[in-house]
Amino acid sequence: MQMKVENINPFIESVYDLFSTMLNAKVERKTVGIAKTANPRDIMALIGISGRVRGMVALAFPVSTALAMVSKLLGTEIKVIDDTVSDAIAEMVNIVAGGAKARMNKGDEPPLDLSLPTVVRGGDFSVEYPTNTVWLEINFDSELGPFVLRVTFESQKE
Amino acid sequence: MKALVVDDSAVMRKVLIGALSRANITDVDQAADGAEAVQKVQENDYDIILLDWNMPNMLGIDALKAIRAMGKTMPIIMVTTEAEKSRVLEALKAGATNYVIKPFEPNTIIGKIQEVLSKAKAQ
Repeated sequence: MQMKVENINPFIESVYDLFSTMLNAKVERKTVGIAKTANPRDIMALIGISGRVRGMVALAFPVSTALAMVSKLLGTEIKVIDDTVSDAIAEMVNIVAGGAKARMNKGDEPPLDLSLPTVVRGGDFSVEYPTNTVWLEINFDSELGPFVLRVTFESQKE
Repeated sequence: MKALVVDDSAVMRKVLIGALSRANITDVDQAADGAEAVQKVQENDYDIILLDWNMPNMLGIDALKAIRAMGKTMPIIMVTTEAEKSRVLEALKAGATNYVIKPFEPNTIIGKIQEVLSKAKAQ
């Protein structure tokens, strides 16, 4: 397992940035630990990071939080999970991962690359990473509801 | 005044169209990737373009280069999660007029839109 705290903090800071700018809502980090359940929430957006390190980032929400966040982002009430909601949370994981990778960038290193995000919906799915790494799970609470950030990394140099 | 918003996220396009509207620009076309953006620029005259970086088919940075290679001089604002200094410099070197990093506050993007249009008008 190649998970390091120095790789986690940039993601937490990115979540705070997202909430303070585009969502204009308070958010608070709660517990941090190793993810034990395969499927933490109803809807999940994932994005891959590659380059100096390789990993995946996921944001997972209960339906109520996803609807509240997208409603706030668009300034109009969204009542059902549809393609608009999937699109919005895909963009959110893109923003969180993008902010984090910039924070992880050191000096003259080439920037890390992001994949295009993927969204998984429904209560009956599991997400596994095809290496011996584990997912670190950071639970957040916010004015718009609880959600989970998951991150897994392995260093290409190790 | 006519604008083109280029982003693979329909929700982000909606957010940016809202910002343009608050800058009094309501005639807006949309493109979901760089290739579609280049095609629309070939077919239309735009006064301003808001351009994402990471998109399928053609990246925003490549679309930017293609649009400038056509001799088009309208203001182009990159609106992207790519926040590293090297990325910003690469975009500016390729002809971006300004650069906004996501996430942004609404007033930030509105201010940039007004700023680049004001400078373009003065030239």
